Amino acid sequence: MTTAKGDAMTPAPADGEFRAAGPGLAGPASRGAGADPGVAAPNGKPRGSGSGRLRAARLGPAGWLRWFWRQLTSMRTALILLFLLALASVPGSVLPQEGIDPAAVTQYYQQHPSLAPIFNRLSLFNVFSAPWFAAIYLLLFASLAGCVLPRTFRLVGSARQKPPRAPSNLARLPASASYTTDLTPAAALDSAAGLLGGRRFRLHRGDGWVSAEKGYLREVGNLLFHVALLALLFSVGLGGIWGYKANRLLIVGQGFANTPTDLDVFHPGRLVSPTDLQPFSINLKSFRAEYVTSGPQIDQPITYDAALSYRPQIGSPVKHYMLTVNHPLVVDNVSVYLIGHGYAPVFKVTDGTGKVRWDGPVPFIPVQQTTLTSEGVIKVPDAQPYQLGFAGVFLPSAEDVGGQLESAFPAPLNPRVSLVAFKGNLGMNSGQPQSVYSLDTKNLKQLPIAPRPLTAGQSEKLPDGAGTVTYLGYQQWVSLAITYDPGQLPALASGIAALAGLILSFMVRRRRVFVRAVASPDGGTRVSFGGLARSDAAGGFDTEFAELSRLLRAEHDGRSMRARQVGDGTVDGPEDFDYRERPGPAIPAAAQVAAEAGIDDPVVGNPVVGNRAVDDTLSTDAVSTQTATAQAVADEAAVPANSDTLSGREEE
Amino acid sequence: MSRLPVPARIAIGAAVAALAGLATAGCAAGQIGADVPQSSGQSFVSHSYESTFYQIGHRSSAPEVSGTTLTGQRLNLDSYRGKTVVLNFWGSWCDPCRSEAPALGALARQLQPDGVRFVGIDIRDEPDAALAFMQNFRVSYPSLNDPNDEIALEFHSTVPPAAIPTTLIIDRSGRIAARIVGASSYDELKDLVAKVAGLKS
Repeated sequence: MTTAKGDAMTPAPADGEFRAAGPGLAGPASRGAGADPGVAAPNGKPRGSGSGRLRAARLGPAGWLRWFWRQLTSMRTALILLFLLALASVPGSVLPQEGIDPAAVTQYYQQHPSLAPIFNRLSLFNVFSAPWFAAIYLLLFASLAGCVLPRTFRLVGSARQKPPRAPSNLARLPASASYTTDLTPAAALDSAAGLLGGRRFRLHRGDGWVSAEKGYLREVGNLLFHVALLALLFSVGLGGIWGYKANRLLIVGQGFANTPTDLDVFHPGRLVSPTDLQPFSINLKSFRAEYVTSGPQIDQPITYDAALSYRPQIGSPVKHYMLTVNHPLVVDNVSVYLIGHGYAPVFKVTDGTGKVRWDGPVPFIPVQQTTLTSEGVIKVPDAQPYQLGFAGVFLPSAEDVGGQLESAFPAPLNPRVSLVAFKGNLGMNSGQPQSVYSLDTKNLKQLPIAPRPLTAGQSEKLPDGAGTVTYLGYQQWVSLAITYDPGQLPALASGIAALAGLILSFMVRRRRVFVRAVASPDGGTRVSFGGLARSDAAGGFDTEFAELSRLLRAEHDGRSMRARQVGDGTVDGPEDFDYRERPGPAIPAAAQVAAEAGIDDPVVGNPVVGNRAVDDTLSTDAVSTQTATAQAVADEAAVPANSDTLSGREEE
Repeated sequence: MSRLPVPARIAIGAAVAALAGLATAGCAAGQIGADVPQSSGQSFVSHSYESTFYQIGHRSSAPEVSGTTLTGQRLNLDSYRGKTVVLNFWGSWCDPCRSEAPALGALARQLQPDGVRFVGIDIRDEPDAALAFMQNFRVSYPSLNDPNDEIALEFHSTVPPAAIPTTLIIDRSGRIAARIVGASSYDELKDLVAKVAGLKS
């Protein structure tokens, strides 16, 4: 990725881009005026300090667009955007967020009446769905896509390239061998091609030489990695747009439906509407928790089992499921996880008029996870003559520790509740939403009741004729996390694919071998065999080359032996040649080499070749960067490929 | 926890913070998707209100709604066919429901002669608390007991209640003609009902 970004970042190509784009963009005007596209300045001003402005003036909308795209897809911009994304998340953890704690936002409004509306306008209470936040991550996505896609195309091109022609002097390659055989040069090359082709080398043949390359899977791996990376980003986005997350606390014996009104916390994706929620409903039949009762692991949970009954659809038959930690219930592609549990003491509250105003469980929240000491509140806003409120502590295994009651164990071995009672105004009628787990005691008066812990069935009579509260026992509750992420599976798949691609591109090395066969002046054919591998960190190529060299030699020796037996020096069967034959007349070797040198020479030594190749470790020409010796050799080895690649790159 | 220390506040808030994922919600489950404004019901009261009127031809039929009321009677919405029905999703624990209750109770009495019927759907509530609420706010219309939100679910594919409270107005032909998310005000609800029922306001 770095190198591709580097390309876009280097000023040189961009500059060249502008100049090249100039005449085309200036279009009919400049051409019509007969201006030389190279020096388009109308008043003959030399290129210099003023030319920047001139060039800018000639850029045109398409040019600006290109410029903008180049800037956007540069590594620098991507890094800046990534940093901005991190920075933009800061207010999300500093200021209260509407989606997480709306009550805190309301409170912030009350405490900072002048500041809060401004913050709200800037979406600071809703950072992660703010337009400016979306702008940052969309730009980041565009930037990454703009980097990865062109690179992908380049990789496709590279993977489809033919091996370069064989260099003239194979002895200068990192690995080489040579020997003499009785075969004619053409027959030697034919059998070499057959051998290499049989070993799945990609072949390229010319007069007197065979080039073979293997390890294109490396390019495939690279390609896979890049495409998978994009797919991963896309999948994550998919979840953010169409997915949702919700939480629900469910007391044993109760049920809920997957509708926004029935969820405690609900974080929908951008395009999720209430009708998109999968219409299942779940009932909690029972819940069982087991704990370690002794040893150093005491209090630690062993198992949680929540027995659920559920309907996948409205009116569909009831199904059953045993929900345990990390074994979510999956309904309609929505996963329901068991993420917590606690106690809900059951209370009965009778008001001053003698009427029952509450009779049921109230979920208490654990404040101490090991012993499940829990706290909660009971609000009775419709009690008469006073509204009543209670704050309580539930101890599942109450134990007297030095005059103070504490919970010794998370299981309900000796459940007790102690309550503090209030009367007055709970502040619920103003319409300001408040948490069901906290009591705003601003307008409440604490009632003097004995703070004795109640056991199941015990009542406490409230003073001032305010009523009675009875602790009846307890229920258990579980908290469920409901997540729907349509991007989850694609994200996993693309993650695996990216990893596979990466491993492939690390494990597979691209290697080239070349065979040249020339008629030797003292009879027979001189076969030279050379090879080089790219990024051969593991060093496995030498072994492979030695093996290939041995096989080739054995093949040639065996074949010449047979040829001698049969009596002709050419071919002894079509099955030996799975590669096209080149019957043509044998060109005198010296002439051939000279001709090739003639082709190669003008390009060899061009300094640009090596430098450009450094930019792109993935293109075929990168071989030249290995070592000094390899460099010299590879100049030769890679030249034809280079000239192709170079012209190709200049077009970009 | 970003909540500032208010001395009078019972420290339960800390527990809530510890389980931030759990139900901190008083009422209305947070905002939802595109067709509900940023803060429906739950957050700032000034923003918490949204009403939608559906023109004839853009109304979906209300599902079949029946059940047992808080006072133990069977109720089927079909029996109101031919009348305009105001369907209010509420809970006694829900603060905005408490603030809109007087307006709803008054309008129910006032519009009765015009053939407008009010029906409540009591969600996630404890029946004693719900009955106390009705008595306290002098709500005389019946409310279906819906502890598990099954009735709200019936509206899933039509105009689902997006938060508590949500008020739906069903026209004489049984189609959903309007929706209010958040606490209804007397005047706006009255205007909307009059529009649906074709009354002179």
